[in-house]
Amino acid sequence: MSNPIIWTKDLTVSFGAHRVVDNVSIAIDQGVFTTIIGPNGAGKTSLFNLISGLIKPTSGRIFMRGTDITHLSPIERVKMGMGRSFQLTNLFPALTVFENVRLAIQARSDLGLDMWRPFHRFRAINDEVESLLGDVRLTEKRSFLAAHLTHSEQRKLELAMVLSLKPAVLLLDEPTAGMALEDVPAMLELLTAIKNDKQKTTVLIEHKMDLVASLSDVVIVLASGAVLTKGNPSEVADNALVRAAYLGGGKYGEASA
Amino acid sequence: MLASLQSRLYDLVRRDTFLPRFHFLAIGLLGIMLLLLPQLTGLVLVGLFTRIFVLAVFGMSYDLLRGYAGIINLGHALFFGGGTYIAGIVFANYGTSPTMLGLAVLGTTAYAMLAALLMGKIAFRRGNVVACAMITLALGEIVRQIAESWRAVTHGADGLTFPIPMMFRDRVALYYYALAFMVIMMLALRQFIMSPTGRVLLAIRENEQRAIFLGYNTASYKLVALQVAGVVCGWSGVMFALTSRFANTELLTVQQTLNALLVTIVGGTGTLYGAIVGTAFVQLAQHTLLGLRGVHLIFERWLLFFGAIYVFVVLFMPTGIVGLYQRLISHWLKPVKPR
Repeated sequence: MSNPIIWTKDLTVSFGAHRVVDNVSIAIDQGVFTTIIGPNGAGKTSLFNLISGLIKPTSGRIFMRGTDITHLSPIERVKMGMGRSFQLTNLFPALTVFENVRLAIQARSDLGLDMWRPFHRFRAINDEVESLLGDVRLTEKRSFLAAHLTHSEQRKLELAMVLSLKPAVLLLDEPTAGMALEDVPAMLELLTAIKNDKQKTTVLIEHKMDLVASLSDVVIVLASGAVLTKGNPSEVADNALVRAAYLGGGKYGEASA
Repeated sequence: MLASLQSRLYDLVRRDTFLPRFHFLAIGLLGIMLLLLPQLTGLVLVGLFTRIFVLAVFGMSYDLLRGYAGIINLGHALFFGGGTYIAGIVFANYGTSPTMLGLAVLGTTAYAMLAALLMGKIAFRRGNVVACAMITLALGEIVRQIAESWRAVTHGADGLTFPIPMMFRDRVALYYYALAFMVIMMLALRQFIMSPTGRVLLAIRENEQRAIFLGYNTASYKLVALQVAGVVCGWSGVMFALTSRFANTELLTVQQTLNALLVTIVGGTGTLYGAIVGTAFVQLAQHTLLGLRGVHLIFERWLLFFGAIYVFVVLFMPTGIVGLYQRLISHWLKPVKPR
């Protein structure tokens, strides 16, 4: 268990006087499915933004496989094997489903700046796109524009794009957010497949508690920017502090969902 | 019998089979007309179309930035005017042999690549569209100022008159060279757009953040786009030198860049050929309006009508002529059944 692939030390980010992430020191162990939960505004997405490099910390450090990545760009972190999805769907809307995934695979393939050969000539990449589209059940939508998919399909497409990077670490920011209830089982199936792939380390932000309970090896609870507790799902569910944070309304007594 | 005829008629208007055939025919006809045009009309129209071909390449190079990579470059004229000036300076000082033409093209290529490199390094630092527009605007102005002040070489505000190589002095020959130039540039740019690098440019336009989080170094891709667009634009400047035999600082102004921008707006962005349609429309409209001078004096003020046309296009045809055409087509023809 003491083989962290990513860890943070006293990670803090403030927007003005507001400490959104407050002295967070966590370790994400290799091959472990970790879920981060917490009330709205607890700093979960901000923590993801820090780890993936979208925002810079006010203080504290981030490490990946022993390297200090605090000052590396998002691009360098992706090259080190980090892949993330976003809470709000983040695709190439006017491109086809196929092209969305193809671009993700191309990013990982070593094509350099090829400026002449037509993109559809790269058979290996195309075959990989097809197989990934099959994995997320989007084969029939391959020539649809991403913008024309249903919300659930867009979430699956985004997951496919992150998966096609073959990342060692996946940061998934609420892949089921806004999904129709009947589509959640399909997403759960995909997430379970990711969990069973022990090469991958997954960090998930999630609100749906049944999903959290069935997937997570470790649950980290954030509240008001700080780590409230960490443990396996049943320990966390029984924790009085967690219940207070969710039901009683956070550290400072404000109401929260 | 009737049923089979009916199904064949239906096949004819199905979008997936009809449209490619129709486009193939239309482009073929247009090509034949353009090839025959110098035999059928006078030198006025030949000159006008030569201009359209050259400026269309200028427009396409702008579309590569605006329509594909999503970059607003307000200093794009520095490539165009730069090409014209370099060709002019070479021809005026060193003669008009074919070698000198080669030198002008090589010089323009080197200049455009270097200018694009500098421009990109400065303008793409922060990835902000507005900052990029302002910085490119300033850089374009700097080049214009240099051209205006460096009187010994450029003759400043007087402009530079120069002879051109023999092979281009015949207006009809020049027409065909310009036509070939446009077709080759369009095919080359198309090839570039369809390449893996070109696809990444689309990704950047669509959602730069997502492209970054797929691991694309978007700044370097934008730099490549700017270099390709800059070089192509520089070459169109050289071609322009051959048609005008004159260079002045007007070619380096923001107005010149805005002409390319307007052409892509009118024609439609992100299609390349939209820039050709837009250039043809703008040039033909200008020609026609000027021709109406004899009818009424108000047509002396053709810019007035031009402004109205632009407003109309922006308000009612936000996707330009090409976009309007595509919309009409998709309304008119039955959608293809998914297979």
